[in-house]
Amino acid sequence: MSKSSKKMTLNKKHNMTGWIFLAPGALLIFFMSFVPMGKALMLSFKTGVGAAMKSCGLMNYTRMFQDTVFVQSIKNTFFYLIIQVPIMLILALILASILNNKDLKFKGVFRTMIFLPCATSLVAYAVIFRSLFANNGIINWILVNIGILDQPYSFLTNTWSARIVIIIALLWRWTGYNMVFYLAGLQNIEYSIYEAAKIDGASAIQSFFKITVPLLKPTILLTAIMSTNGTLQLFDESVNLTDGGPANASITMSHYIYNMSFKYVPNFGYAAAMSFLILILVAILAFLQMKVGDKRD
Amino acid sequence: MKKKALSLLLVGAMAATMMTGCGSSDSTSTDAAAETTETAEEAPAEETTAEEAPAEEAASGDQTLTVWCWDPAFNLNAMYEAEKVYQQDHPDFKLNVVETPWEDIQTKLTTAAASGDLSTLPDIFLMQDNAFQKNVISYPDAFTDLTNSGIDYSQFAAGKAAYSVVDGKNYGVPFDNGAVIGCYRTDVLEQAGLTVDDFTDITWDQYIENGKKVLEATGKPLISMQAGECDLIMMMLQSAGSSLFNEDGTANIVNNETLKVVMETYKELKDSGVLVEVNSWDEYVGSFVSGDVAGTVNGCWIMASIQTAEDQAGNWAITNMPSLVGVDNATNYSNNGGSSWAVTSNCKNTELAFDFLASTFAGSTELYDNILPSGALATWAPAGGSDAYGVGNDFFGGDAVSAKIVDYSTKVPSNITGVYYYEARDAVATAITNYINGSDVETELKTAEDTVNFNMGM
Amino acid sequence: MTKGKKIAMYTFLSIVSFISVFPLYWMVCAATNKSADVVSGRLIPGTYFLENWKALMVSQDVMGSLANSFKYAIALTLLSLVVSSLAGYGFEIYHDKAKDFVMSIILLAMMVPFVATMIPLFQMFSKAGWLNSTIGFILPTISTPFLIMMFRQSARSFPHDIMEAARIDGLSEIRIFFQMFIPTMRSTYAAAMTITFMNAWNSYLWPKVIMSDTKSQTMPMVVANLTQGYVTDYGVLMLAVLICTLPTAIVFFCLQNAFAEGITGAVK
Repeated sequence: MSKSSKKMTLNKKHNMTGWIFLAPGALLIFFMSFVPMGKALMLSFKTGVGAAMKSCGLMNYTRMFQDTVFVQSIKNTFFYLIIQVPIMLILALILASILNNKDLKFKGVFRTMIFLPCATSLVAYAVIFRSLFANNGIINWILVNIGILDQPYSFLTNTWSARIVIIIALLWRWTGYNMVFYLAGLQNIEYSIYEAAKIDGASAIQSFFKITVPLLKPTILLTAIMSTNGTLQLFDESVNLTDGGPANASITMSHYIYNMSFKYVPNFGYAAAMSFLILILVAILAFLQMKVGDKRD
Repeated sequence: MKKKALSLLLVGAMAATMMTGCGSSDSTSTDAAAETTETAEEAPAEETTAEEAPAEEAASGDQTLTVWCWDPAFNLNAMYEAEKVYQQDHPDFKLNVVETPWEDIQTKLTTAAASGDLSTLPDIFLMQDNAFQKNVISYPDAFTDLTNSGIDYSQFAAGKAAYSVVDGKNYGVPFDNGAVIGCYRTDVLEQAGLTVDDFTDITWDQYIENGKKVLEATGKPLISMQAGECDLIMMMLQSAGSSLFNEDGTANIVNNETLKVVMETYKELKDSGVLVEVNSWDEYVGSFVSGDVAGTVNGCWIMASIQTAEDQAGNWAITNMPSLVGVDNATNYSNNGGSSWAVTSNCKNTELAFDFLASTFAGSTELYDNILPSGALATWAPAGGSDAYGVGNDFFGGDAVSAKIVDYSTKVPSNITGVYYYEARDAVATAITNYINGSDVETELKTAEDTVNFNMGM
Repeated sequence: MTKGKKIAMYTFLSIVSFISVFPLYWMVCAATNKSADVVSGRLIPGTYFLENWKALMVSQDVMGSLANSFKYAIALTLLSLVVSSLAGYGFEIYHDKAKDFVMSIILLAMMVPFVATMIPLFQMFSKAGWLNSTIGFILPTISTPFLIMMFRQSARSFPHDIMEAARIDGLSEIRIFFQMFIPTMRSTYAAAMTITFMNAWNSYLWPKVIMSDTKSQTMPMVVANLTQGYVTDYGVLMLAVLICTLPTAIVFFCLQNAFAEGITGAVK
């Protein structure tokens, strides 16, 4: 009896310790994110040019679905999400497990090279990709010389190729980034498990699916949520690679929200409402991912 | 009171995090816990540096003006030269020029104005002409009216000064010239049996005829343009004095006969192969610098990019742009780009700012002579008459291009940018892209106008 | 491993590495070439490096900006690592329904585009008098949902029996965090450090909005300045970009052994 009550107080104490530990981080997020978010939410029920705003109820929220450009941007963004995120995460996972191999030589060099793209500053990355896919760029030069194309193809000015270039660019830039988390996560798995599996006759592919994937599940969940969030807020690539073109075929939601705030006649209420749609979409997807992946065994 | 409590709380949180933060600078070492106590005193040090910055700003004397602008070789250089000119009579005068890209000026202006704290704004900043009316109308509180500042606006090219006029009041001092020029590689034209005279005072129909000859003789297109951008469209439109908006601010797209002609002309240029579309600005510049394309039509500031192709010196010539066919008021002159100086409402010493601008950008031929080598051409008429403008430029075959361009700029028809200029521009860019890809011009213009009306109807 | 498999593996890695590095090779070439050659697509290193270097140094305060960037990035990285890892640890080790719920609420904070919250945040900071200050610069990004979640996820593999043993030995909870958790989670810290440093180094929009003087200019701002002219000198631009990229690459290179080579001598 006394033992169990002691345990109770200890649990209570630990519970309190937990709150104290997470307080600084949580409070900072509260003030730096939730307070401004609350203000933005209030703004989303107002309309008007610049600083002169008046209440408009849910008008901004109904308006966005009549906005053909915004609807187009939702479609584009989801296209990127569905194609790019799975490819990127699987590729990153494969690369991480290869590079976790103890017998591999030059691991450090390979790792650094694969990570480098995301360290590259955005400006360089945009200039480089635009030049690679230019009419007289190296990609066209190769395709023409090996006979796949008769004449240079204008990648960034055709609807589908522009979208695909954005996906390629995203894969190039972020695969190494995600690989870092998997590599770090893999260090928390005892290497001897793999050796034991090998002795039991498991193939590399079997141990990948039976050991790596289940044990990395928390990390995979993390990267999945982050990538979903990152893609739904995608901005840089749309602005710098294609400028949303051709004819809005590659514009993303965040790009359009930015235009609405800073390029066009500022309509912050509307921009805030569109931002909260992103929040709702990401939250739903993250919730589903948490449901599937965030279980403690 | 409540707000103070909040900021206090935040400072507290900050200090607390600082303590732990400094303590674990070597977070992998095992005795990090012991270190935390030692470094607690470091936290206040950080905070004092935080408070220093605004104090410094306030300390700046009465004779100093802060200016935001971009492009060191061009705009910053012009401001520094203006400072020198003004210092001749005002030795205590000083400029604090902060290099700030245009997008960032726009972002900072928007953020400051929308949150009601204009104290971060400088005294003077440079603004793109296309964004001028939008910003003044959206944030009237952020600007100072310059109509009675002693600046003589009649000495500026009318089309240029109109960009910064709202409700009959002047809010900007016009600066760099965006008069449109046609640029041609004379050596390439020669191979087709043409000279630059065949491109002077011509129509777009003649341009296309000539362009086909050049294409046949050399395989080179006459002009390249960035796909999805409508710079050329806007230049053509303004050359006939037409705008995307009416005087009353309503969209003028569907019923704009000039715009229809412009769209058809553009498509014809593209279909004939005389115009080639490229993916990006870099590629656009690359297309004539590398000699793949035999010319271009753009604002006169494009000369600076052309001149980076040193190996082509002497082989370039400039003239006016082609005019539209079958349109009233068609001319061979237009404008693209350019910017003007604005004085903010945060300017404490408006007398000084007015006097500085009036005696430099709106009153000194010396200034304009000094900045001419950087390629900055005046829109202030008296500057064009100076000797420096009459000197020939060897890159362009010894032609006195500066005087020529100043002359062009006085002939540019003015147009209405309107508040919703960028919305309309993007809508038209979408229309032209779809039209080139086979859609019908009427439908696309209708969609464009609907999009603009949608944006205006909030 | 069979020989064939090994060859396949190396080939795959080489192809991926080549694709990753090629654009950077292009960048290095561009930094050593004349602008006109860069836009014409020259793909071999040139001899124009010194000219580009001089032009860059004349037009921009590179050294000052580098110093600023380092100052902000290092301060931000250290602060965020401590605050976020402590929070992530708190969320996972002492987890209960309430904390799991708070965690999912915190995640919401990253799901709204920053452009929407920037103006309210600016308003708050202007009232607090933090415009143009270091505190204003770094405060919003010290604690991020991303880092907290990252530490929460990796704390899941922190062995509970070690904790129990330490408690029996009489270690306080905070000492367990510093003396047991941090060393054990070295690889997570190293990875988090790399990523946080990179994000801090490349941050642009907020610093630009809140800082107004030239003295607080950071390296990404130098790069942005160079893209603004009527004429862009691509050689100089790419040199600046190269300088801007190197620190993150070096940080990665130095830290990668810590997060990818397993735990050596850790408490196990």
